[in-house]
Amino acid sequence: MKQLSGHARFSAQASLLAIALASGVMFAAAPLAAADQVNQERLLNVQKEPGNWLHHHQNYAGHRFSTLKDINRDTVKNLKVAWTMHLGGVEGGGIWSHGGLEGTPIAENGFLYVTDGWGSVYKIDARGGTGVMVWKMDPKTDRDWAGAVACCGVDNRGVALWGDLVISHTLDGRLIATNKETGQVAWQRTVADPDKGEVITGAPLIVKNMAITGVAGAEYGIRGWIAATDLSTQKEVWRTHTIPGKGEPGSETWKDNNNAAAAGGGSTWVTGTYDPATDTIIWGVGNPGPDWDNAYRPGDNLYTDSSLALDATTGKIKWHYQHTPNDPYDYDSVAENVLVDIPGPSGPLKLALEADRNGFAYAIDRTNGKFVWGLPFVKKVTWTKGLDAETGKPIEYDPNKAVQTYNAEVTPSRTNKETDICPGNMGGKNWPPTAYNPDLKLWYIPVIESCNRIKVEEMTPDKLKPREFWTGGGPSQPFKITGSVTAIDVTTGKIAGKMETPFPNLGGILATPDLIFTGQPSGEVHALDAKSLQKLWEFNTGGGVNAPPMTFSVDGKQYVAILVGLGGAWDKWFIDSTPELKRIQPGSMLYVFAL
Amino acid sequence: MERFPFSAAARLLLCIIVPGLSMPAVAYAQTAQMQTPDPTAAGKAVFAKANCMGCHKWHGNGGGGYGGDALSLRKTELTREQIIETVGCGRPGTGMPFFTRGAYDEVKCYSMNRQDAGAQMPPEAGTFLRAKDVEAVADYVIAHIKGAGEPNYAECVGFFSSGSRVCDIYKTQEQKPDTTVSTGKSQ
Repeated sequence: MKQLSGHARFSAQASLLAIALASGVMFAAAPLAAADQVNQERLLNVQKEPGNWLHHHQNYAGHRFSTLKDINRDTVKNLKVAWTMHLGGVEGGGIWSHGGLEGTPIAENGFLYVTDGWGSVYKIDARGGTGVMVWKMDPKTDRDWAGAVACCGVDNRGVALWGDLVISHTLDGRLIATNKETGQVAWQRTVADPDKGEVITGAPLIVKNMAITGVAGAEYGIRGWIAATDLSTQKEVWRTHTIPGKGEPGSETWKDNNNAAAAGGGSTWVTGTYDPATDTIIWGVGNPGPDWDNAYRPGDNLYTDSSLALDATTGKIKWHYQHTPNDPYDYDSVAENVLVDIPGPSGPLKLALEADRNGFAYAIDRTNGKFVWGLPFVKKVTWTKGLDAETGKPIEYDPNKAVQTYNAEVTPSRTNKETDICPGNMGGKNWPPTAYNPDLKLWYIPVIESCNRIKVEEMTPDKLKPREFWTGGGPSQPFKITGSVTAIDVTTGKIAGKMETPFPNLGGILATPDLIFTGQPSGEVHALDAKSLQKLWEFNTGGGVNAPPMTFSVDGKQYVAILVGLGGAWDKWFIDSTPELKRIQPGSMLYVFAL
Repeated sequence: MERFPFSAAARLLLCIIVPGLSMPAVAYAQTAQMQTPDPTAAGKAVFAKANCMGCHKWHGNGGGGYGGDALSLRKTELTREQIIETVGCGRPGTGMPFFTRGAYDEVKCYSMNRQDAGAQMPPEAGTFLRAKDVEAVADYVIAHIKGAGEPNYAECVGFFSSGSRVCDIYKTQEQKPDTTVSTGKSQ
């Protein structure tokens, strides 16, 4: 850990002063000492402190919507770089030549907390119109150990705050609590095990004194889980496997004789959301393994490719909704579920929205897990002719069939060993988060408009080895891949607009009252009109945007911040579909914009 | 396929800047140096520097996954000369890049220039290797990887020479006791 003690002392005093000054405005009713302590009350009521960004997905519902509006349709043309800061973490490790930045900064009372791909946490003083690094906590991630089994890059998507702690993950499987003032590690706990092919890339979700952790590794034969750690006792409260154990409900959907379930995948590497009204965590589950040889694992393979609702207190599964049973495409449903209430014919509809790798956007009734509507949000879908209007299952889905073939002509299988699918296996929509504007009731999806080619390898149990790929084939990229921002009107379940982009959207979206912000892996950050999706502003960062924008305010001034540094899966595995991006250099930089 | 070869250098630099933080690695390296020098050590360095391990893995077994199928160097039947040619010229129609400057331009590969290769033209590596380095990496593959059975602990530790836990899964039962210091809880 690197401690810049001079700055720290200075800024601690300055921060007290700032809080004292601000308290009259923002924390009139709150005792002074509590202002910097994050508790459940504050996490539940983030709308009361619009200048801060306390959750990974902005609020528990995953809206990534800020009410700040000094930067708006009329003023955005004047948006300029306020300051930038170089960060670290570009070093390689394992099979990776370099790291990248996929994180969402957290903002609290003028301080930003960001991570780099290897899990270093940076506290940055953003007051006074400039950025000053206060401390850096370097967790000394075991790069070769973790980097060798990270399927998709040296990634870390950010931190969470609780009490006086900054809570973060490392690729090598740790949950770390760092003192917010000093940058000293308060404690750490091993949650995931890279020896089993498990790594962690997601930001923690904090619910009622617990840190919720998801795991990656479905390409390495893991059995996925979601785990809750008590932040006071540092002990595990619950761990719910996403693939049922023998005899548990759902285990009947693994019909093979290979014990495929034990290495069945079902990773959970994108931070989920939380509905306090029902004390329910909703979390997406990834693909089954081996990815492309679905005849190895006949059956629906629950709870892979599903949205899971868990009782937050016990971790018990309340309901599930599976999108692609017996998936032969690598169509994860790991994406965040965005929780939205809209008026319905008989009272308010309580929805969970998910934009799936398979190219379809789904609205599920989050009180019971029932399908409400679904539609393709990509331009081209070939693997199915569409969704059943009642169930939302692909219309070719046959519950009596052990191995699904969907549109058999294009579906990878043991008899169709080389085939082209749309969307390609990255999606659709990957981890980059959507955003939801509750005033306009528009939901914005960062889209990868893609097809790719899949080669199937028939798997046998002897090919399953610890820390080795367990994919049953692999993709190649003979087709150009582009992107879009696609807006869906949640009241109708119809597409309201599509702004096409030359490159896939690998960063995600921020919504404000009349704008959305997003970026391109070729370097541009864009502000679009929230209704028309017309481009109103652009700045080229000179790097590759691979992270979501966010906004905060300090000293009464609104800022937009975004991490820039192309890494992740794209520039190692999928670059041939976007050859122009080969010129983008690795980097690690925070950009902050203001009027 | 590798495009950004500076990471190994960056890591070396890091070790120099923060020697206090990498004590275990330094101590181990000193122990290793006291053993008989391996004539193929230079080739091992090339294997890491040119990021052969990005696709073939440290053990050379390659395998499927998101990058398609990097061939197993352990099971390869290529001769030393064929390995040299493959590294220098890549493999047309696959993701295996060419590492020789001027390949398919001044230097014909498989009797082809760039025009002849057309769509089959292999990608250009992130770093070019001198002929001596290509030979060194071929010698390393022949001596340590080609024909080897399943990867084991000694081989892994020999490759990484670091305090990483990357090799722990290859430990046999007798070698396991010291894993308690490797749980990551001790900081």
